[in-house]
Amino acid sequence: MVAERATEFDPSKIKDQALRDLCNVLEGVRGKKSLVVDKALSGPLGLIAQPSLLQDYGVVQLHWIEDGSIDYAASKNILYIARCTAKNAYSIASQIKNAPRIPGQDFEHSLFFVPRRTPLCDRILEDEGVFGDVTINEYPLYFIPLEPDVLSLELDDAFEDLYLHKTYTSIFNSAKALMLLQQQYGLFPRITGQGDKGKRLLDALLRMRNEAAAEDASTSMALAPSSIIENLVIIDRETDFVTPLLTQLTYEGLIDEIFGINNSHVELEASVVGAAMQGPAEATGRSVGTAPAAPQGKKRKVLLEGSDRVFTDLRDNNFSAVPAILKKTALRIDADFKKKDDYKTVSEMKTYVTKVLGPAQKDRTSLSMHFNIAEIIQKHINTELFEKTLEVQQSLIAGYSSTQQHELMAELIARGASLETVLRLLCLYSCVSTGFKPKDFDLFRREILQGYGYEHVLTLDALDKVALLQSRTVAGSTAAAATRTNYDYLRKPLRLFSESVNESDPDDIVYVYSVYAPLSGGGSLNPNSAGWKGFEDVVKNVGGKTFDEVQKGEDKAVRARMILDGQNEKKVTVVFFLGGITYTEIAALRWIAKQEEGKRQIIIATTGIINGNNIIRAATTAARTKPRQT
Amino acid sequence: MASGLQNPTSTWELVSGQYYRKFTVFTPSWTQDEDFNLDDYLVAGAPFGGALALWKDPRKFHAYQGGQAAKPHIIICNLAGGLLRRITWDRGAIRAIGWSDDEHLLVVTTDGSVRCYYDLQGNFTHFSLGADAEEHGVVSCRFWGTGFVALLSNNVFVAVNRYDEPRPRPLALPKLPSPESKIHSWALIPPNYSDSRHVEVIMATDQTILIVDATESQDQILQNGPFHHISVSPNGSYVALYTGDGKVWVIDVKFQQKLSEYDSGKTDEIPLDVQWCGIDSVVLVWEDEVHMVGPAGAALRWYYDSRVNLVPEMDGIRMITTEKCEFLQRVPDVTRSIFEFGSSSPPAGLLEAVGHLERKSPKADDAIQLIRPSLPEAVAACVQAAGHEFDVDWQKQLLKAASFGKSVLELYNSDDFVEMCKTLRVLNAVRFYEVGFGITGDQLERLTPDKLIERLVARQEHLLALRISDYLSLPTDKIYIHWACMKVKLSVDDEDTICRTIVTKLSGKRGIAFDEIAKSAFEEGRGRLATQLLNYEPRAGRQVPLLMSMEEDEIALDKAIESTDSDLVFYVLLHLKKKLPIATFFRIINDRPLAYSLIETSARNIDTELLKDLYYQDDRKSDGANVILRESLMQENFTTRIDKLKLASKLLKDSKEHALDASALEESIKLLTIQESLERDVFEETFVGLSLNDTIFKLTRLGFHPRANKIRSEFKMPDKRFWWIKLRGLVAKREWAEIEEWSKLKTSPIGWEPFFNECLSAGNTKVASIFIPKCRNLGHAERINMWVQCGMIVKAGEEALLAKDYNSLEGLLPKATGAAVPEIQKMMQKLRPGR
Repeated sequence: MVAERATEFDPSKIKDQALRDLCNVLEGVRGKKSLVVDKALSGPLGLIAQPSLLQDYGVVQLHWIEDGSIDYAASKNILYIARCTAKNAYSIASQIKNAPRIPGQDFEHSLFFVPRRTPLCDRILEDEGVFGDVTINEYPLYFIPLEPDVLSLELDDAFEDLYLHKTYTSIFNSAKALMLLQQQYGLFPRITGQGDKGKRLLDALLRMRNEAAAEDASTSMALAPSSIIENLVIIDRETDFVTPLLTQLTYEGLIDEIFGINNSHVELEASVVGAAMQGPAEATGRSVGTAPAAPQGKKRKVLLEGSDRVFTDLRDNNFSAVPAILKKTALRIDADFKKKDDYKTVSEMKTYVTKVLGPAQKDRTSLSMHFNIAEIIQKHINTELFEKTLEVQQSLIAGYSSTQQHELMAELIARGASLETVLRLLCLYSCVSTGFKPKDFDLFRREILQGYGYEHVLTLDALDKVALLQSRTVAGSTAAAATRTNYDYLRKPLRLFSESVNESDPDDIVYVYSVYAPLSGGGSLNPNSAGWKGFEDVVKNVGGKTFDEVQKGEDKAVRARMILDGQNEKKVTVVFFLGGITYTEIAALRWIAKQEEGKRQIIIATTGIINGNNIIRAATTAARTKPRQT
Repeated sequence: MASGLQNPTSTWELVSGQYYRKFTVFTPSWTQDEDFNLDDYLVAGAPFGGALALWKDPRKFHAYQGGQAAKPHIIICNLAGGLLRRITWDRGAIRAIGWSDDEHLLVVTTDGSVRCYYDLQGNFTHFSLGADAEEHGVVSCRFWGTGFVALLSNNVFVAVNRYDEPRPRPLALPKLPSPESKIHSWALIPPNYSDSRHVEVIMATDQTILIVDATESQDQILQNGPFHHISVSPNGSYVALYTGDGKVWVIDVKFQQKLSEYDSGKTDEIPLDVQWCGIDSVVLVWEDEVHMVGPAGAALRWYYDSRVNLVPEMDGIRMITTEKCEFLQRVPDVTRSIFEFGSSSPPAGLLEAVGHLERKSPKADDAIQLIRPSLPEAVAACVQAAGHEFDVDWQKQLLKAASFGKSVLELYNSDDFVEMCKTLRVLNAVRFYEVGFGITGDQLERLTPDKLIERLVARQEHLLALRISDYLSLPTDKIYIHWACMKVKLSVDDEDTICRTIVTKLSGKRGIAFDEIAKSAFEEGRGRLATQLLNYEPRAGRQVPLLMSMEEDEIALDKAIESTDSDLVFYVLLHLKKKLPIATFFRIINDRPLAYSLIETSARNIDTELLKDLYYQDDRKSDGANVILRESLMQENFTTRIDKLKLASKLLKDSKEHALDASALEESIKLLTIQESLERDVFEETFVGLSLNDTIFKLTRLGFHPRANKIRSEFKMPDKRFWWIKLRGLVAKREWAEIEEWSKLKTSPIGWEPFFNECLSAGNTKVASIFIPKCRNLGHAERINMWVQCGMIVKAGEEALLAKDYNSLEGLLPKATGAAVPEIQKMMQKLRPGR
């Protein structure tokens, strides 16, 4: 029978389950243990559990698999948690082989593969001769809710996997994760989307559905169309590389651009985080006159998420609106503090302290941090380099391409702008203009190689393979035309560009990039346009295959589900971004969700959060190869 | 009372206020065989009324039976003595035999080799308890539902927690009081009942008891040993100990409290076995004498003609002898309340009423009215009691009573009643002597019907299993699969007929794993049949392992690709790469893009030689060159680095399309060589690895202008870029004089604004201001602003005056201080003399 029936979409259940599973993993090994974790998993695990949980379950040591240095004296139980990649399997095998042999002291190796145990990893461990020395299990960690409306697989290398290496491991993982949603909430009644890799995901999903139906007669009821979720929209990053290449201009987007957000955490100078949030360690300083300056260079990790009220108010706004909001928040907090005069009786005071004062104090601490962050951002965006970068970007998406942009780009290289900044602009140019003219292409390749090093032959090759930076002879070919998004034709009908926007009280989705509406959100969901269907001619110019699939179930099962779930008024749309989503796109989708409030709930799901710098860094991996340490 | 029925209480016996019943479940078929004596055998019984395993007791003398029959064997039979399988044993001396909850038979030999017979057909998996066991030998074993613990002669306990992937692990070494101390007896606490959730061992040594788990050994500090028997109750809460002076102690598992004591009166003879009967009594067996110790330390005694073998169950104990197969349990409370002599409980009244009804006596109604207020409970009790009866007639009688009772009630939910009828039908079907399960209702509930069906299937009772599954609405796929596997193995028909029979029977059924059936066919050596059957498997991924073992390599690869599981594809590829000549391997991956990408990506990290071969045979020159380029980046040694680059560039030279890349690599060599010589000339500075732009910048910053110029012309760097880099370098060096020198030039390829900006950002307003007048391309307003940025308000004013911009002048006024104020005012006067 179906284990649990859901009546509304509740991502917190996914998190609870992940935490329970983690506890079982840790409990599976008795007594004290050394935990060895795949670095790529440390972030996601941090989102599920507090570090103290590990201590509670007897973890005495924490190591990274990549470091390969385990202190074997600490415990005889070694517990590995790793993604099921061949690389990890080889590393773990070699570590087990090299574990010291002490007579009478046998090490117990346990290994949990995330999200599943595969024959591949078993085979590798067998070939390496350690299969019998380790207990192998799996920890089915798929979606992690970052926010109530954002589910992420937190796969760091999804972009490379999909578009550079074309190994498609993340498609299978995404399909598995979406299958789990279907098993809980029922089939997505309709799946639409765009892009060749998106189509692959759809195919994988349909195949898994059929296999699940063949698997077990009793799941057929669960696999009737959902009455909670109305549809799934799959957006393949490949159909819109332009959006992430642009500099994000929302508050959260800018934090990501400038500081970098990983697994919802941002690393900041201790002085930015502020005294109150630094914990007791800092409070022991001298208390003579001025407060002691925070030690330079000390970094702190801060979790950015919805429970921080101040941040919630700020995150999705265009940065130009941020100062005003900060000011308003400051006034509000001030008012909260002053409210104490309104409360007379003891019980009223008690309510005040817990309901008003507590949160207000938290807000005040947070507010001071966000003032600091906003100050740094302001400084950053006032620089000439930033202004020039933005100028080029906005001209390019507006469709003005001239020698002036070329000169600006060359100037940025000569001025030593970061490689990411420059390549983002060049890629943007290539994407919106169907590649560079051969002469210009060669010119800019030279500029890059001389400006940033000849090893970037590798980077340029990678960008060519992803179709981000190409010569017009390649990009303009008929073969490439099928998968290429043509912005010249889309700009007007989809209203991607608009110069008249109110950034502080937006009336159009373009506010997130000040002048540009993300194609990813705009085309498929923007209520200001009519969605894909009404734009069939236009959609021809979006890259890759278009698909629209209706999933039906057996009549009996459909009726049973209707009776069980009832008819929900509010429908859920799940938007899955294959290959990653930017914070700005999330902001845009939230803006749309707000327009539809009460009628529709939008759940954003993705392989991970990305930005333009991540994309470029994926391409520069090879060029960053360093001599092996001997 | 209904006539013709034996009173249930005839099997009851009272001990310290509690009734126990002992009744014959089966009279085993071996009673027909006069030569058979169970005393010659050791017996192990599977839990939940499952199968028995019998093997010759090695300590006894056996009559010589001729050459063939002398080969040792293990007999597997059901409780009714029906033979299920005879396993010929050829693997050395058996030390212990046990069963798992899944009715897998475990056979452990003295040298620590273990076989797990996972079906009742004689198929098995094999594993060893390790070198320690081989060297020292196994002394004894104790089994629980999913694993077992073996004691070795060097006093090490080895635990196995699961049979699908057995990993024998030693427990902590017991801390024996002295090196001479012996282990008198031991028992285990299964993981699901221990505090640590891992298996624990309770063992008696010297006068005391130790508890041993994976990490430590704890002495319970007792003084009354030696204890010759230890037995843990089925719920893991109590321990029964048999002392040296013939007493039984029942203690809680924490060894805090002694709950009861019983003196068997036998000081000279240690019992053969001590086991729990349910959770409140303990059974002791001597050769032909049985004592059952009740909760308060009082006991029942029975005497037998042959040895009694005990098989403990959750709710009682099975006693198996040459003559019969009995079950002993405490009488369930509902049963007692109905049948106890003189009982006036409502359900007893209901049973009496239905008796009257059958005799058409009017007293039936009186009896009902008497218990009317508690009729619902009475009905429920009768339904429950029916489930506890083995006698079909009593089951019927009790259900009849319940049925009568519920017909009088106005509102009654019949779910329990219907459920019980179903359960009883299933119970009676499997208790039929040909099937031979001695299972109770409570045991069935614990075992679950699914597991019961698995056991039936293992006994080849496919039809019964199917009927029960359909009757209880349980999935039937596994039954069909098993049936088909057996068909494949045993049928003598030709392969086409078998395939047709199976497919016809299984078509339209959900969840049929054709890969499993195909696997059996393959294992039977019927390769073609396996291929035929595999085509019916809808799940591509599941076909892969079998196809691989069938050496259908390319089909396996295609099926893996079809499954969309990249890891599975890579798994097949890894296998193929090992097995095939490299040329064949390349041919196979060449027209399969996903396979190609997977090999390309993995080789990039671990096997660059393979990658080079791959690109070479594909004539992908630029990719091949990139591999070498990456290798050059990995080199610490300068010469090898250059050599690799030369190699890469040579590879690209031949083709026109890569001319740019080739020349870039040549430039790279040139630059590296220059950088290397720079490092020799300029001490303590690194140049190798910098880009061209950075090299020139660094030279400028360090003041080596001629060298910078030379490199610039060697690489034909465009003017604009060079000017920018030089400007940045000079500003970084704070070489203001040099910059001022530049201002004397007429034109600059990058204009003069950058000079202003860079100097200003570096904080030198004076030098910055020099360039303001040179920015003629800018409007006057911008120039005014530039002057203001340099803090030169008067100059800004002059600019405004020149452009006759009164408003700007007015705007400058508040910014002006000191002498500047009147100056600005004067200029404003000039423009608008009237004011």
